[in-house]
Order: sequence, then C-alpha cells, then structure tokens
Amino acid sequence: MVPQFLKSASGRMGIRKSNGKILVVIQLAGGNDGLNCVVPFRNDLYYKNRAAIHIPDNELIQISDDAALNHNLSGIAELFDAGNLCIINSVGYPNPNRSHFRSMDIWQSASDENQYVQTGWIGRMLDANCHSHQCHPHQAVEIDDTLSLALKGEQLKGMAFRNPQMLKKTASTPLINSTGKNYEADAADKSYLEFLYKTLAETTQSADYIYAKSKIYHSKIQYPQNDFGKKIKLIAELIISGAETSVYYVSLPGFDTHVFQKGTHARLLKSYSDSLKAMCDDLKSNNRFHDVMILTFSEFGRRVKENSGKGTDHGTANNVFIAGGALKKAGLYNPLPDLTNLEEGDLKFRIDFRSVYSAVLSGWMNEDSEKILLSNFDSLDFV
Amino acid sequence: MNHHQKIQHLYLRAGFGATPQEVQSMAALSLDEIIGKLFEGSSVPADLNFMKYPLSKKQERKGASAFKILKMILQSRREMEDLNIVWLNRMAAAKAPLREKMTFFWHNHFATSVPFGFLMQVQNNTLRNHALGKFSELLHAVAKDPAMIIYLNNQQNKKDAPNENFAREVMELFTLGEGNYSEKDIKEAARAFTGWTVNRKGQFQFNVSEHDEGEKEFLGIKGKFSGEDILNFILGQKQTALFITSKIYGEFVNGKIHQDRVNNLADKFFKSGYDISLLIKNIFSAEWFYDDENAGNKISSPVELIVRCKRMIDLQFDDDVALLNLQKALGQVLFFPPNVAGWKGGSAWIDSSSLLLRLNLAQSLLHDGKIKYRPKPEFEDKPVDESDDDGYRLISDWALLTSYFINVPDDSLFDSVAACLIQCSRDKIKRAEIEKISNADSKENRIIKLAANLMSLPEFQLI
Repeated sequence: MVPQFLKSASGRMGIRKSNGKILVVIQLAGGNDGLNCVVPFRNDLYYKNRAAIHIPDNELIQISDDAALNHNLSGIAELFDAGNLCIINSVGYPNPNRSHFRSMDIWQSASDENQYVQTGWIGRMLDANCHSHQCHPHQAVEIDDTLSLALKGEQLKGMAFRNPQMLKKTASTPLINSTGKNYEADAADKSYLEFLYKTLAETTQSADYIYAKSKIYHSKIQYPQNDFGKKIKLIAELIISGAETSVYYVSLPGFDTHVFQKGTHARLLKSYSDSLKAMCDDLKSNNRFHDVMILTFSEFGRRVKENSGKGTDHGTANNVFIAGGALKKAGLYNPLPDLTNLEEGDLKFRIDFRSVYSAVLSGWMNEDSEKILLSNFDSLDFV
Repeated sequence: MNHHQKIQHLYLRAGFGATPQEVQSMAALSLDEIIGKLFEGSSVPADLNFMKYPLSKKQERKGASAFKILKMILQSRREMEDLNIVWLNRMAAAKAPLREKMTFFWHNHFATSVPFGFLMQVQNNTLRNHALGKFSELLHAVAKDPAMIIYLNNQQNKKDAPNENFAREVMELFTLGEGNYSEKDIKEAARAFTGWTVNRKGQFQFNVSEHDEGEKEFLGIKGKFSGEDILNFILGQKQTALFITSKIYGEFVNGKIHQDRVNNLADKFFKSGYDISLLIKNIFSAEWFYDDENAGNKISSPVELIVRCKRMIDLQFDDDVALLNLQKALGQVLFFPPNVAGWKGGSAWIDSSSLLLRLNLAQSLLHDGKIKYRPKPEFEDKPVDESDDDGYRLISDWALLTSYFINVPDDSLFDSVAACLIQCSRDKIKRAEIEKISNADSKENRIIKLAANLMSLPEFQLI
C-alpha cells in the first residue's frame, strides 16, 4: 500500500500540479524491423522479398484481415485484443536519413532532416514547465547511466539513473553533502558557477526524492529477468509509488540486424513484449493503467528486401506502438504499408512522427505541442 | 589576477593547462615572452601517423567489394577509437599545446565523423597543418578533404542532381553564419561544387563530367563559377572574418561576446588575409584577456577536463576502453562529434549524471579508485545483457603536486593548492569543511586529499 502523503501528485517539492498523466517512451535502438513485427501475411510481396527471413504462419498471431503479429509479441497481441494498443503504420519524416546516429538525433530532437536542434522534445517540455524554483530533474527520468538528447532542455534537463540506490550513493558523498546539498540558489546570478551549484542542488534533491519513492512499492509481478525487464519494472514501481515524474525514457538496444536476423530479433521482441505486458498488468492491478501511455519507436525500419546475409539493412518508415489504459482509438490506426510503392526499396512514410508526438503532447500531456515541436503538426486522434 | 594565475589562465585557454612546476618555471618571464614561447613551441606541425594507408595496390586499381568495404568500416571504427587515444595522449604530453588546442578547435568547427579511420587521420592532419596558418587556406583544404566530402554528401552532388548539403553548411556553419546568404545562394553554390568527389584511393578528385559548367549567380554576382571561386567570394565577405572571430572569442575569451573587441579583432584578421596566429596572438596579448571576468568562466569540455587531469595527476585507466567510455559518458568523444554543428558546449555539457560523474572522478581516487559509468551501447553492437560489473579502475600519480606543495607551511596550504587548481571565484567554497575532510596523518596525504577534494568541486569544472 502506498502511504497517502506520498501519493499526491504535487507533493512536498512544490511542483506545478501536472494533469497526473504519465508518458513512458521505449526506444528500440538500432532500427527495428517493423515488417517482421506487424506482418502483412496476405501480401505475396512480403514473402517474395523475404524468402529467408519471413515469419511463417505458425509463428503469427492474426489481428486483422491482413495483419498478424510476430508470435514473440504475444503480450502485445493481448494488449491489442483488450483495446489497450494502437498500431500506427508508416511513420517517418521527409528525406529520411539512414544513419543510426543522425536519424536517432532527428527523432529525439524532433527536428527536420536538415536541421540541427540541440535540445530534445521532452527537454523542451520540461522547459515549458520550468518556472523559477519549480524545476526538478526527476520530472523526466531515463533509466540508464547517461542522459539522451531527448530529455535535454535549455533550462532544465531530465535525470538518468539505473538504480536509485546507486544514484543516492553517488549524489551524497561527504563532499557533496557539505558543499552542494543545501545550496540556496541565487536567481540573479547568471554565472556558470551558479549554474553548476544549482544543478548539483537539484540533483541531490531529486536523488533523495527518487530514492525515497523507490522504497515504497515492490512489484510482486514476474518481469523478464534481464536488463530491460529490470528497467521496465523500476519504471512501473516508481509510477505506482506515486512519483511526480511525468516522463520515463528507456532504450532497448540491439536491433541492427544486418546478419542472421531471426534469432536475435525474436529474443529482443520477446524481451520487449513480455516486459511491456508485465508493466501493463502491474499498472492495471494497482489501478494506474488509465494514467499511463507508452510510446514505442525506433529510429528507422529496415529495407523491405532481405540482404544476402539473412538480415536486413537500414530502411526508413516504420510502425509505432502506443499502449495505454485510456486510448481513444485502439487497434490498427491506418492501413499497412504499401509494398508496391517503394522509394529506393524502402517504405514511404505516411505519417510524420511529429504528428504522433503532437498527439501525445497536446492530447495526453496537455502541453502546447506547437511550441514544443517548434512547428505545427496535425495531431493524430488516438488519444 | 597575479602573474601565476595569468600564466595558468593563458595555458588553460591556449592549451590544456600547465602544471605548477611549469608555471613556476615561467614565473620570471613577461607575458609577451611566454606567449612567444607558446607560438614557438607549436611552430612546426607534427602529423598523426598512427594509421597506414589501408588499400593494397590491387584494391586501389580495382576498387574494393562491398563486403570488404563493410569489413573496413567495422575495423575502422576500432581504429578511430585507437586514434582517439593517440590524440588524447598527445594533448596530455603537451609538446605543442597551442597547436593541439587549435586543432581541437577546428575539429569542432569543421565537425566531421565518417567511419573510415584513415580518412579521419588525414583530416586531422589537414586541420593541424593549417591550425595556426591562414583560415583561407584551411577552408580551401577542408572543402577538398575526403572525409568532409563524404560526410556532407558531396559525392552525390552531380550536375543533373545537385546535393546542397555541403554548400549549405559551408556558409551556415563554417564561414558566414545563418542569415548572411539566401536559399538561392545555396542552390547556386551547390552547382559550383558539383563533381567534387573522392576517388577509390580515398583522395579528392574533380570529376569534370559531373561538374555544372553553366553560369551561376552567387551573392549577386554572375559568372561560370567553380567551387574555388565560391570559397573565394565567401572569404571576400568581411562577415566571414567576423563570424570566425566571434566564435574564437567565445571559445577562448568569454561566451558573452564583447562586440567592439570582436569587430576590432575581425578587422585586423580580415586585413591580414585571415592570419589565425595573428588573431589569437592579438587576443592573448590583450590586457582584457586577463580581466577577472574572462577567467574561470568556461565549463571545460570533457576532453579538456580529462586532459587536464592527465596533466595534473597523470590520470590513467586500467584499460583504454575505460578512457573512451569516460568520454562517451561525459558527452564528448574525439572523432565522433554529434553532427556537423559540433558539440554545443557551455551548459549543454552538464546534466545530473554528467555532473555527478565529473565530481566523483577525482573523489573516487580517495577511495578504491573505482568508478562506474556505462555509456550507451553503439547502435551496431550486438545486444548483450549487461551484468552488474564493478566499474573501471582509475590510477593516479600525485607526485607532481605533493612534491610541489610539500614545503608550503600548513596554514597556507589550502590557499596554495586552491590557487593552483581553481581558476574562478573561491567565494562559494566551504574552506573549513574541506580542510576538515582533508585531514590526514602526513603532509603528503593531506596535499593529496586537499587536491582531490578541490578537484571534486563545481569550481574545478571551470577554466
């Protein structure tokens, strides 16, 4: 049971009262092969292009007349059946870049292909909500040792940690305790020294806060016993403990399947899907699922045609999964990609990824999406 | 600032910091003499020669297969990482600190990263050879640099299908700055750069058959311009001198631009035909360069921080992977800038995790020397389930500092060590607290503890 005083959404730290909605972003790093996730199993072109690596009938879970999920996504299929999953096909951006690094930069900063924006879309959301002393790094959290561009704003950056206990330990050495901990920020001082002390003070406060929250709820549900499963479990526990964090960010790497794709891809999908399913069950049984939306993306999809190494090379448009307990529109959001109409062997994008972000920001997080995305994008209506 | 601090300031900006012994050895010289020494020590460029030319004669003739190229790329990534360590160690050896610092500056200005180690070495040598020469020559050399051409897609820039990437960035990021040219200028410049490509030997090649010979209109002038003409027109704009001077002032003096000074410096820079040495000499010799407001006001970049620690306490790691991963975790890896705009710098270096890692670096040396940091895996890496490893082991050698401070009386020890390590205001430092936790049984240990604690403060991050 969560003690009532720790449950309140705007508790002891004086954070602006958010609408209580939580966003979890899962990044499948390396370029996930979306075509082998949501399989166009009635399309001859799929089998023609993928003689070696197509997903056979007995490994498919049918979800519509022409679409089936890879059976390693069985947890996702259950969410789909329960009306807790929306699949958006052919998401991308104009002039797609096939470099991992650059394309991930574009997704994280929400920039155009030829723009170099040095803040992230979640970071700019932090900026929009950061007023004087009410800025706390733990408002957006990444479960990792280092912080991604996505969570870096101009005024405020999110915080990254793997383990609340380790975080607390590194943020409370005797020296830090005696120098930075109770530092009173001076808003008039614009020097870098002041900025460093202020960041240190915020960090120690957020580390204490996260550590205290991490003690409250320990899940009884079985999560996959791997690195990703542990990270997802930590996110669920923090949400259920009532932490004031509104965005959680986590990455599952390894999707760059140029050779012998099938085995690696299967393991990764299973780890992803089982972890996500466990989290959703956990949130449901604690009555929090209706407050949470989980967005899954990858920096690009893979080429339609397999390569000679039983793998796939870098592609472009891809599917995005939205999971949650309060979706307005679940199921397949739009038709499967058109395999007859390709551009240099790659899928053409139909939906700009920033239209997905826009829906999440304005429809779910109640933010000014145009300001945060630096431009106006039509929001999708899954929320 | 006293004379010692002025020397420290000069060496932190013009190089990667000076040891107290080095500062002492220069104490009797005037600043002008010291600046003269800095330039003298960096007068002859020395190439990085870590990698040999990778293609065999046969490969050169026939070209390599796609598979071989993939293999070369993968191998190259490792070579680039090795090259990274070679350069970092050269920075720390400080034989020619000014040239290393300027090469580092140009590496961020002409930010490039392609997965061909040899070509990155070639580019680095181009940058270091021109680092203190004429910017005009540097620009022409970089425009024909194979790594740059590949990075900004000029290989795809052909008569029938111009690619504007290089033409755009050369004006936006390398010379004029945004707002000082039109979209039309980009289109026309791109046409002039058509046919500038890289051959199978990894060398620049002008491919006449892909070059657009037609008339172009650039910055209001019409003619059958070549790529070289475009660069010369850009260099003919005083705005280019202003843009470069402003960036150098921001990096070497103060992020808050003093417009009058910059205008004045840019004037001389332009008139000298873009003499980089003259520009930075004018900066380092100016009285205002040593004003308090211009010292200790810059957050050191991860590379600057690491190299300074290597210089001061010979910071080492049990293996080079740790050194590379430290750069990754702190957000700056040599030869891997995030994009063509380079590292953003300033407050962008700092977030909760990078700050805690910076503050715990020297601190860990007071305990078991172990520190944990796991950067994000590379996109190409195979998925591995990360185990709970114990982190990396740091090794340090404090002899330089202990031998220098051993005869300083106890009551002035704190001030002496702090003056050597802290370049900004010391008003926020809680001296009594630090002296308390730096207590030790011997003078040597007290010096080590004091130094390590001071190096773990926010103040130490500022140079």
